[in-house]
Amino acid sequence: MFKKVLIANRGEIALRVIRACRDMGIRSVAVHSTADADALHVRFADEKVCIGPPPARQSYNNVPALISAAEVTGADAIHPGYGFLAENAEFAEVVQKCGFHWIGPQPELMRLMGDKVSARKAMEAAGVPVVPGTSIIETDRQAEEAVERIGLPVIIKATGGGGGRGMKIVEDKSRLFTQLASARAEAQAGFNNPAVYLERYIGRPRHIEVQVLGDGSTAIAMGERECSIQRRHQKLIEEAPSVAIDDARRVELLRTARKATAAIGYRTVGTLEFLLDEERHFYFIEMNTRIQVEHTVTEAVFGVDLVREQMRLAAGDPLRLHPDMRPRGHAIEVRINAEDPVNFAPSPGLITALNLPGGPGVRVDTHIYAHYRVPPYYDSLLAKLIVHGENRHVALARLRRALGEVVVEGIKTNVELHKRVIDHPDFIAGHFDTHFLERL
Amino acid sequence: MSKAKAPVRKDERKSSSCGCEEPLRALGPEELAAVRELAEIATEFDLAELSVDPCGGIRIVRRQAGGGVGTAATPAASPLPPPAPGPAVEKAEKPVESGVLLTSPFVGTFYRAPAPEAPPFVEAGQTVRKGQVMCIVEAMKLMNEIESEFDGKILEILVKNAEHVEYGQSLFRIEKA
Repeated sequence: MFKKVLIANRGEIALRVIRACRDMGIRSVAVHSTADADALHVRFADEKVCIGPPPARQSYNNVPALISAAEVTGADAIHPGYGFLAENAEFAEVVQKCGFHWIGPQPELMRLMGDKVSARKAMEAAGVPVVPGTSIIETDRQAEEAVERIGLPVIIKATGGGGGRGMKIVEDKSRLFTQLASARAEAQAGFNNPAVYLERYIGRPRHIEVQVLGDGSTAIAMGERECSIQRRHQKLIEEAPSVAIDDARRVELLRTARKATAAIGYRTVGTLEFLLDEERHFYFIEMNTRIQVEHTVTEAVFGVDLVREQMRLAAGDPLRLHPDMRPRGHAIEVRINAEDPVNFAPSPGLITALNLPGGPGVRVDTHIYAHYRVPPYYDSLLAKLIVHGENRHVALARLRRALGEVVVEGIKTNVELHKRVIDHPDFIAGHFDTHFLERL
Repeated sequence: MSKAKAPVRKDERKSSSCGCEEPLRALGPEELAAVRELAEIATEFDLAELSVDPCGGIRIVRRQAGGGVGTAATPAASPLPPPAPGPAVEKAEKPVESGVLLTSPFVGTFYRAPAPEAPPFVEAGQTVRKGQVMCIVEAMKLMNEIESEFDGKILEILVKNAEHVEYGQSLFRIEKA
């Protein structure tokens, strides 16, 4: 096992990794920008190194500074957390070339999964359903044939696209050609590349993901998470298990995810993300090759420390968890962000008073403390509040109680938004999709 | 979060070194002038905190100028975050240091000489010119020469040869010419 781990991250996830290190008897090295000199991860690590000024490009994304910090402190492994360089295959390669262990999957698999087209191909080859779609559409005839095969509605997407630009939803076949033309024009203008392709449009999908662990030859799927409550692809509330799938569908989903993870020879922890359509069919959308923010709900229902397992697997240990582990009860995580609950504007600044909830079934992962100044340079996540109960009803009651105990003064948070969501009849009934927050 | 931390340090201070338990009262003009003078001193020397106990204790907290690498030395069990950055200096009468600081532009290992047996680039007391090589900071096997940013005289070399330095750490104290 590793002797000393450098955590190339900040905030609650840096603290989370430090805690796993301490539990395992591994020394930890915190890195920080000058804006984070008073941060809790710096305080609680065994060693600390200031790596640069506040902008992430010059600190947490600064590869030479991170490698140099690992060298001067004598760390033997680097944990990337999530965000920053966690899914950067080049960084993973540099880490390994410099003689450190990378606490993540093999860089070539990060690269494979980092590209949407190659990830989709690899998953299709491993028997995972993907959203029915086409390759690049060159002619109107091809588009017509594709629509006949896939069925309406379809969505036109730009291969070079992102952020919704160049995307058109086609509901009516008579408008297919004009929409194709305007999508190409938008793609050309936006990305200097007019290439577009078609996909089946899933109007009211749920976002369901599967936690997987692999040791390079075998793999397990540790249940699913429901992450449909999101805003602009930013998840806000996650739960495990999902109320949207029955046992038969769950067995199928988990078996598929486990087989695909084993098929690509994946090592450490990862997540396969799926869309679930209204007929309860699931389609692979992407794989996250790292620990995720919401790993805590899986930990709650399975009673496992996923960061510890991640480090064991990165050190070359074999999988030791039983493939048929069953979840116990229900867990929900809400992300408490420093943002205005109405217009979602970020709200950095000084926390003048703070109370965090506790009691049975409540876990809080956070890096904030009273009189902490939330810096304006990084993401707005302040705390993750995770509740666990023997069923969803109990978990929701605990969540309501715990949210009522949260006091954060001096800055704005989205706590009131969470209260509105969890008191909404549709949320309570489990009737929601990824557009729930837009309709709220 | 533990209960002990929310109430601020006022209470601690009251019962600190002297143990006076006089009730609070308004300050007279002389005391006000003394407070004003202390505030000016605190500003002049960029102190984070300055408290003078009438029973004889003086406590100053300097603003942090960047600590050493790998010396957080936090007790594992400490549940409380730091109330203020920087080390507390009890009864410090240290004169405030003159000159300007040349700091490390990145994390690495500090070397005073270009090679183990070579003479150091510079010595304390020596005058240096803008652009003159002062030291090497090695990062990722690259030897980066660090140059002086101005003409002046080296008052102090703040890091020992082959020590680790972090971003922003002070390396030299220089009196500007």
